[in-house]
Amino acid sequence: MAENQALERLLNILKASGADAWEVTDEEEKGWEFYLIRHRLDQNRVKDLESFWVKVYRKTDEFLGSAGASVPTDASDEEMKRIVAGLYEDAGYIRNPVYTLNRPEKDAPAETQEDVDIEAISGDFLRAVAALPETESEDLNSCEIFVSRKARRFLNSEGIDVTAVYPSSMVEAVVNARKDGHEIELYRLYECGTCDGDQLIRDLAETMRYGRDKLTAGATPALEKADVVLSTDAAREVYYYFIDRLNAATVYRGISDWKIGDMVAPENLSVQAVRFLPNSSRNTAFDDEGARIRDMALIENGKAVHYWGRRQFSQYLGMEDSFDASNFTVTGGTESAAAIRTGDYLEIVEFSDFQVDEITGDIAGEIRLGYLHRGGETVSVSGGSVSGSIMELMKDMRFSVESRQYDNLLIPAVTRLNGATVTGAE
Amino acid sequence: MNAPFSSYLAGIAPGLKELTALLRERFDYVSILSTDSVGFQTAISQRAKSVNRETMTTERGTVVRVYRDGLYSEAALTGFNPDKVRETAESITAELEAQFRLLKAAGVQPYETGKLPDEKRTIFAEMETERLPEQEDLAELVNRLSAISDRGMKEGEAQGIRMIDCNTRASSTHICKLFLTENQDLRQSYVYSEGVIMALVAGEDRTEMSYTAVSGRCGPELFDHMDEKLPEAIRIGKDLLAAEHVVPGEYDVITAPEVTGLIAHEAFGHGVEMDMFVKGRALGADYIGKRVGSDNVTMHEGALCAVDVTSYAFDDEGIPAGDVTEIENGILRAGICDALSALRLGTVPTGNGKRESFSHKAYTRMTNTMFDSGDSTLEEMIASIRKGYLLEGMQSGMEDPKHWGIQCIIDRGYEIIDGKLTGKIVSPLVMTGYVPDLLGSVSMVSRDREVFGAGACGKGHKEWVKVADGGPYLKAKVRLG
Repeated sequence: MAENQALERLLNILKASGADAWEVTDEEEKGWEFYLIRHRLDQNRVKDLESFWVKVYRKTDEFLGSAGASVPTDASDEEMKRIVAGLYEDAGYIRNPVYTLNRPEKDAPAETQEDVDIEAISGDFLRAVAALPETESEDLNSCEIFVSRKARRFLNSEGIDVTAVYPSSMVEAVVNARKDGHEIELYRLYECGTCDGDQLIRDLAETMRYGRDKLTAGATPALEKADVVLSTDAAREVYYYFIDRLNAATVYRGISDWKIGDMVAPENLSVQAVRFLPNSSRNTAFDDEGARIRDMALIENGKAVHYWGRRQFSQYLGMEDSFDASNFTVTGGTESAAAIRTGDYLEIVEFSDFQVDEITGDIAGEIRLGYLHRGGETVSVSGGSVSGSIMELMKDMRFSVESRQYDNLLIPAVTRLNGATVTGAE
Repeated sequence: MNAPFSSYLAGIAPGLKELTALLRERFDYVSILSTDSVGFQTAISQRAKSVNRETMTTERGTVVRVYRDGLYSEAALTGFNPDKVRETAESITAELEAQFRLLKAAGVQPYETGKLPDEKRTIFAEMETERLPEQEDLAELVNRLSAISDRGMKEGEAQGIRMIDCNTRASSTHICKLFLTENQDLRQSYVYSEGVIMALVAGEDRTEMSYTAVSGRCGPELFDHMDEKLPEAIRIGKDLLAAEHVVPGEYDVITAPEVTGLIAHEAFGHGVEMDMFVKGRALGADYIGKRVGSDNVTMHEGALCAVDVTSYAFDDEGIPAGDVTEIENGILRAGICDALSALRLGTVPTGNGKRESFSHKAYTRMTNTMFDSGDSTLEEMIASIRKGYLLEGMQSGMEDPKHWGIQCIIDRGYEIIDGKLTGKIVSPLVMTGYVPDLLGSVSMVSRDREVFGAGACGKGHKEWVKVADGGPYLKAKVRLG
């Protein structure tokens, strides 16, 4: 590991601070960014950033307090001492039940490093965007490309000292479709590790097709109740409902009342936290508190089997071996996507903003494009909204064997929610 | 007292001016924004407590903007060293040159833009505050928030509510920004604060979270009377547990000021961000001078049109704060604009160029987005509705400037039948519609108005900045689901 004098100064100050425990994260980011209007360059940017996040712990009576702050790398000794002393004082006001910090694992690698060539990845993205299958009526409106090499070193007073270097990329794209003087747009935000140009082109080609169909969409009829099929990124919210409600903090705070052993999901649905997903932007080996990330089942055949999350709340719930997971897979579908897409249903592929409330389970979203399949005919529709409660809808929820990946989440490609409320736009 | 300008920024300013001069030898325009903002956030509930010396806007860093051959480029960095200015200039130039080579190889041409003007300007603004976050007695504040949480539990249970928790959160940030060009030296320092009380309540088969907030361009003194919001948080929790689902359809509604603010924000906040005009992403570009609402609709946007969390002296591109009349008696008059978009559109910037942080790009962003007041009373407005709802509490919204669609998720609707509130409550509500239809249906506007600054706004699904919005009660016709 390269010598970092500012970090060494900070560590020395922490060791002399009187703190009962401490954690430090040294985060470095080198990034390149490109902002395109159509295919012309609006702006290019470079980033070279580093900062320390420090957390100081203090025991008071039977309680444990903590306080955190960002420490600039150019802070003087005096400023670092002032910040750390302030955190030590702040931690004295905070009284939480005692918990312990993560400790080094014998077989855990101290360093995981991927080769990250920002320039090469940037070139791949620029070439992919240039190769989009645009036509006279469907094309790229604008695009923002973010490519970063992130390095994260975590140290704590228990002796953990681990470093991860990984790529992190993001693309925001807006596509237009037009017909007879009328133009519409659709929005996409992709996060990933590096550039998978073929996948990006496929996704944006699909988006342009949706744009074309939206131009001819009629008003969504007032269906009252309908079987709603989700096959694009909105489906993530359905599965995040299950994942989030097993987060240790959510459970400990009473936001979720799910308990280990409860049936919390459809009986064939399983959710797993996984260390690695191909090209995920979150393939780090350890979490923000130095815990090693590994594969761990959260839900098995509908039954909650493990909480996940930060050390404090996991330990309060008796989960000594948990961690703050970053990638998830959802499996268990027994039907093909084609079998799910049968009968009458409304497949919604574009929402303004689809949400599932993690407290109430209420779902809501304005429909920007859907395909209404009724009596053997299919028409594209737009407007109106879908609503309901996931707690009710999951009783008859169907999901496909086939899967689709959205950055750090691999979920069934097609999800069907029978009996959702659909407010029309007619 | 006035919030003092950062001694750190004052200390590195000569070095940054030297950097400007060095880069000016290689580029036709150079500006530098450097930030040093400190603050705290504390969250207290029955189950967990935390304090951090960090908020969503605390930061320290520098962003350099340069211009050459029709193209603007930026470099964001931390740890500026005044003793190594030449090395910094070399490093920035080398990294940008590497990007230029890649762009050339990829055949990407610049979106040619003119050079920003650089007239002489000096601003030194240290805005008033009673207290500073960096000097706040956090022990006392933690005790006060704990007392609110304890009282919330007792009062909720006394009203027959099963209280799971009563969460309180307070944050305060002292913003300091320095903007430099060859001819400009702008410095500002101000404090904003925001606080939230949330009651987590349970019914027989459901759990709900209520939410009340305070905000202001002021110091932690904002939290001295935060307990006054507690009864409202408990009342909302009770209402949510009693709520039913709405029967989907079109209704006459009255929007409470926070819902009015959400409509302002989503309808003609995002709808007239003029960087979207440059990209051809906003219908508003074609509607300047045309009717977009009823005569009762007048809207303002700008850091100067209200005093709240984003009422600054100058924006992140060095443009002085403004107050734009966006809609005047239903006619769309103007949009809001960052500096580069103004150059491209041949108009003037309005002081709305904002960044999520120094390390992010500047976009056209909202500050305070407000409907003007009218001449009705809330009582008159309720009395005028045969069947509809009084809409209170906002959860979220989503813009669609290209098609003027609007989606607002509203917390609660209080039923009105024959001019009277019936006591029946519906929740949650998805309000959707076409913006000109919604604003065109505004038939009554109340005399009073409020501003709310406890939220944040993204552009698309990223670039989060502080914004405030609000207005009076509006009577309108909307679709609810």
